[in-house]
Amino acid sequence: MPERAIRVLVIDDEEAMRDACGQILRRGGYEVDTAADGAEGIRKIADLRPDAVIVDLKMPGTSGFEVLDSLPAVDPHIAAVVITGYATIDTAVEAMKRGACDFLPKPFTPQELRIILARGLERRRLVLEAEALRREKKALEEHFITMVSHQLRSPLVAVRQYFEVILAGLAGHPDARMLQMIQRAGDRLDGLLRLINDWLDLARLQQKSPLDRFKAFDAGAMLDRLVQTLAPVVRDAGLSLEWEPPAGPGPIVQGDEESLEQAFANLVHNAVQYNRPQGRVRVALFDDPDAVRIEVEDSGIGIAAKHIPFLFDQFYRIADGEGTKPKGSGLGLAIVKAIVDAHGGRIDVRSEPGAGTVFSVRLPKPRPGETPG
Amino acid sequence: MIKTRTKILVVDDDPDFREAITVILQSAGHKTVEAVNAADGAGKLLAERPDLVLLDIMMDNLFDGYSLCHAIKTAKEFESVRNTPIIFVSAVKTIAGSRFGFKGEDVGLTGPDDYMDKPVKAAELLARINRILAK
Repeated sequence: MPERAIRVLVIDDEEAMRDACGQILRRGGYEVDTAADGAEGIRKIADLRPDAVIVDLKMPGTSGFEVLDSLPAVDPHIAAVVITGYATIDTAVEAMKRGACDFLPKPFTPQELRIILARGLERRRLVLEAEALRREKKALEEHFITMVSHQLRSPLVAVRQYFEVILAGLAGHPDARMLQMIQRAGDRLDGLLRLINDWLDLARLQQKSPLDRFKAFDAGAMLDRLVQTLAPVVRDAGLSLEWEPPAGPGPIVQGDEESLEQAFANLVHNAVQYNRPQGRVRVALFDDPDAVRIEVEDSGIGIAAKHIPFLFDQFYRIADGEGTKPKGSGLGLAIVKAIVDAHGGRIDVRSEPGAGTVFSVRLPKPRPGETPG
Repeated sequence: MIKTRTKILVVDDDPDFREAITVILQSAGHKTVEAVNAADGAGKLLAERPDLVLLDIMMDNLFDGYSLCHAIKTAKEFESVRNTPIIFVSAVKTIAGSRFGFKGEDVGLTGPDDYMDKPVKAAELLARINRILAK
């Protein structure tokens, strides 16, 4: 179904030619405008934005070639047909090089004009369609993960929301056993939601590196903010938190602040989860000569040496030997490693079973000469 | 002066979520109006003049919630309801831990007065609503 009429601009210094082309094309269903010289032609192209231009090569003043040269700035896909009474192979080649889609020697029949114009317009239509599809594909790729995430999360969230209403006592009075089962069902759903969130984070990191969002920022300020945000979580778990806020402005790091926050949040959450009653969580920042080093330490059960090589693998979980299901998705450390890798950094683990574990992240410092910001 | 009950507009394409939230809101004595998508939400906002809007971010299209929120806060046609507080309620987490790849504010869309993650705890939702309405 045609949307709007196709607009053609005819640029020729001969009035008879302009009239003839106008008649032929209007009979073909096109909307036609005309210009009597190159300069007027260039103006009208900018104002009217035609789909096609029929342009005479030899005109006094601004020539047809100059009109062709002006087209890409206005519309790189405009269909330009060159007409001329001085047709030579050289001029034809030159016209095509300058972006004309076809070349029509005068005199020409009405049919020749219409066929050539239709061909040029069809090509234009295909090019525009290909571009639109490319844009759509890119948008879909970027948002695919978000769309999948939404589809997976929505039903789970709806169920979880119903549970919340029941647990809040707003849907009648369930007995104690019902409440307990619904509470446990809710916990399992929460676990599933966390798994989906983590898995999608990882997929997003693998699909599109955070490199695009790299900026220089103050690592000390970032860590300080993060620690303040997580302090209640640490306290609520009955653990003590050790953190020395940096005295002055902290070392500058080139990176994506948000994903690094996520990485360190994951490490702190692990430190809380795999800790001992009344244990401690220590976060420290060091400005080493060649790197910015951040350590997250816990006083927990520690990790046996045999596990260390696999620690950052996806879904690698260490049972705590007591038969309880490990909390978390098994992706937390894989996500941390993906983020650290994307920053050109390194993550190491030192652990003593029974005493505790230290995760050490090294981030490269901007090379001298790289101005921050 | 007669105290009228507050009226809250819930805009969400998930009927189960709308129902669950309505139970929570009505339990606290609020009146509720439901809308099933952004267009419906816009219409009901102008017709019903609620005291507050709970708005889902992703509905029919990716950024429906953001577009509607921006329109309410900036477009001429919503001038009469411009100051209605809006709370985004979404299954897509926006706080540290899992991030939504799109931030409306990054592309110049005016954001809401508050954000909440789904699923919401009944007590917290009601507390946030009271806090915003008290302003």
